[in-house]
Amino acid sequence: MTAAIVWQRRRAAAAGVWREFAANRGGLAGLVILAVIVLLAVLAPVITDPSGLDVTNAPGRPLQPPSGRFPLGTDIDGRSVLLLTLWGARVSLLVGFAATILSVLIGTIVGIAAGHFGRWVAGILLRLTDFFLVLPSLVLAIALSTVLPQGIATIILAVGVTSWPTTARLVRAQTLTIESRPYIERAKALGGGHLHIVGKHVLPGVLPLVLANTTLVVGNSIIAESTLSFLGLGDPSAVSWGSMLQRALSSGAVTGGAWWYLLPPGLAIVVIVLCFTLVGRALETVVNPRLKGHS
Amino acid sequence: MWLLFRLGGSTERRDLVRFSMFRSWRVGVPLLAAMLVAGPFVAPAQAQQQGGKVLRVALVQEVDHLNPFLASFASSTMVGRLAWEFLTLPSAEDNTPSPGLATSWTTSDDKLTWTYQIRQGVKWSDGQAVTAKDAAFTFNRIMTDKKAQEANGTYVENFASVTAPDDHTLVIRTKVPQASMTAIDVPIVPEHIWAGISDMDDAKTDGVPVVGVGDGPFLITEYRPNELVRLKANPDYWRGKAKYDELQFISYKNADAAVNALRNDEVDLVNRLTSTQFDALQGEANITTNKATGRRYRELLINPGAQNLDHQPIGDGNPALKDVRVRKAIAQAIDPRTLIDKVLGGYGELGGGLLPTSYPKYHWDPSDAQRYKFDPAAANAALDAAGYPKGADGTRVGPDGKPLQLRLLGRASEDFAQRGSDYVVSWLGAIGIKVTKQLVSDNEVDDRSNAGTYDLAFSGWGTSPDPDYTLGKQSCGALPATAGSSSSASFFCDPQFDALYQQESTELDPAKRADLVKQAQARYYDQVPSVVIDYDNPLEAFRTDRFTSFPKQPAGSGNIMEQSGYWGFYGATPADGGSDSGGLPAGAWVGIGAAVIVVIGAGVGLSRRKKSADDQE
Repeated sequence: MTAAIVWQRRRAAAAGVWREFAANRGGLAGLVILAVIVLLAVLAPVITDPSGLDVTNAPGRPLQPPSGRFPLGTDIDGRSVLLLTLWGARVSLLVGFAATILSVLIGTIVGIAAGHFGRWVAGILLRLTDFFLVLPSLVLAIALSTVLPQGIATIILAVGVTSWPTTARLVRAQTLTIESRPYIERAKALGGGHLHIVGKHVLPGVLPLVLANTTLVVGNSIIAESTLSFLGLGDPSAVSWGSMLQRALSSGAVTGGAWWYLLPPGLAIVVIVLCFTLVGRALETVVNPRLKGHS
Repeated sequence: MWLLFRLGGSTERRDLVRFSMFRSWRVGVPLLAAMLVAGPFVAPAQAQQQGGKVLRVALVQEVDHLNPFLASFASSTMVGRLAWEFLTLPSAEDNTPSPGLATSWTTSDDKLTWTYQIRQGVKWSDGQAVTAKDAAFTFNRIMTDKKAQEANGTYVENFASVTAPDDHTLVIRTKVPQASMTAIDVPIVPEHIWAGISDMDDAKTDGVPVVGVGDGPFLITEYRPNELVRLKANPDYWRGKAKYDELQFISYKNADAAVNALRNDEVDLVNRLTSTQFDALQGEANITTNKATGRRYRELLINPGAQNLDHQPIGDGNPALKDVRVRKAIAQAIDPRTLIDKVLGGYGELGGGLLPTSYPKYHWDPSDAQRYKFDPAAANAALDAAGYPKGADGTRVGPDGKPLQLRLLGRASEDFAQRGSDYVVSWLGAIGIKVTKQLVSDNEVDDRSNAGTYDLAFSGWGTSPDPDYTLGKQSCGALPATAGSSSSASFFCDPQFDALYQQESTELDPAKRADLVKQAQARYYDQVPSVVIDYDNPLEAFRTDRFTSFPKQPAGSGNIMEQSGYWGFYGATPADGGSDSGGLPAGAWVGIGAAVIVVIGAGVGLSRRKKSADDQE
């Protein structure tokens, strides 16, 4: 009975959030483009022939300008740039999402723990957060991906463990706000333990903000992945946008004026990060009442 | 560069995530634009001239050591060849031995004793006289100090004794007759400086106080690792001072940056161009390109079971590669022709023996019957027959039950390794060998290929006009005393090859010697400790408005940089009235402009940022 009411309320709240979100045109546009990109990336093995990625089967001549056969031209090995860009989306999105989940997970746990327990626990956790915050994340990520074996998992780890501190700070602040509310005190007085308070009250209160934050973190993770691949630290066996740019540079395609080799991965990064930012900001305005009327 | 900036900027932004997004974009966009403009122009500041004519050379390979006993990168030996004179060196015209410190040389009737007359009146840059004792010291040091053998150990392994009876006479006694005694590519260093160095590995041996004392055409005056090596023309050089005053080697992280620097008149000479860059530079005003016949071979190393001098195994190469049948199958499964055509853009000659076609006397090509033809089906059949059946996932399994998985080591900075590795992975995948790419820094490739911690690796060596150097690097004698100190190029150790090498190096009849050299190469080819892929055409380009000509080696068809000797740099002729002292180069002005944009952009961004922060509360 009560469960039904709870679900009804939740549905209504979700519908409200959606209405508000949909009112933000930028956010909506971002979401639509993002959905298309994700769909294309997921369907890439179905709609394209992966054998075209193998340099030994490259169908074209090196650095052909865009033509009917190759809408975005060919790369230095004669592969279709369109095909590479499509497959590059898979790595970029995979790393983007996985690193974000890792980062947000660490950030949320550390943030809630610091906010909820306070005192020495907070002291230790916040100093740790500060440590990661002041360290230039790129340098740390480079160091990590140099020591660990090359591969996608390493990149995810390197990006994930270097980008959590800001989430932690954010979550801690929100936890403190929520814990100062009277109903938490009531719950404590009624004998609610740490697990109950954190699980039933703090976490649901923090989650909307975490969600909005997550969308923004994804954009950053994608850029971080591209940066590391561009520096030659990515997974060498997978095509990603960063590694396409790196190869264009190292093979001299830039000097050769092959703009069609550089622009697609570059623009793809810009578009996908822009989309995540638009969606993230729209979500933020919805879940954070203080931002209303500002954006 | 912009990627870097965005990531760096993100830490600042995330903290203010609730109401920050547009603010950081306002700061970010002008900065980003400014950095895009500034990007290619950052380097020239260090390359500014300080009066006098300067030759600025772009270096796209790292420098491992300036210490000539350790320097093994082509870039490092190129610098070392300028600072210290040799006994004799190959001539610029046709690589025949020509006098250096030695004015003349004679050999005894038993061909075991060589006597060199040392040039009189040559001085080290600190004023002391160059004598035969310096030469004796240099060779004796290499003969007695294992650490000093890293770069040039192969030259002295047959030396019984080296003495200097007086200041102008050097006597070298060899154990067996040696044909390459007029092609000893070892820089002679000053005894009074180097005698005090007890540990050759000491980092200070790369410092200017040590390496700055020389007698070559140029003297090292400044060394900033991975940044700059500065040399000045030696005013007292015995052949006469070079036609310009200063020589700078400026490091660039990638060849594209170096090409841009050449176009923007920030450097005068660039080598190691990729085929795309070379094609793009052809026909540009004030730039001349040079496609040379190569004296380097490029190879794919196949670790044949690395071992040290005592035949104890070192490293962690896959044991399956000790099986020559597996190595042959690998050689059959890769197609050097495709690598040349596609990765090198056609600028290479198909490989055969270790010695390139530019030394026609010693070059060896396999006959059609001998050559490994690209034939994956035959390679598959050979591996099946050798006892490496394919497992369920398509990867072959060795007799020890382990899947046949190999690592492919290559330089991350090198286009060939980056792209060629894709081909090798695909080709070997087709015969059931799973290959993972490991693209790392130049120095790590060097360390690991010396320590034997590789399965497959892209490598390559420059060769000398005399074949001893190259063949010696493949002999058992070149195996490392300790792991990591290797002068062996491939960890090859084969009695039959060694016998041919020994005969060759003692054979003084040129025709017979050439034949033995070819037989040795044929044996190497048959045993495949490495597949010689090709002999690259060195692709170089220089600015004709700054330097009109450079001597090539050999004359007409050769290269300018990475010669056997210093001719290319020493004989460079500056253009008349070429831009020298006074005034900043165009690149610097653009750089300054970009800096101004950065400042203004950041200012605007900050002021807006302040404004929007005010708006918030």
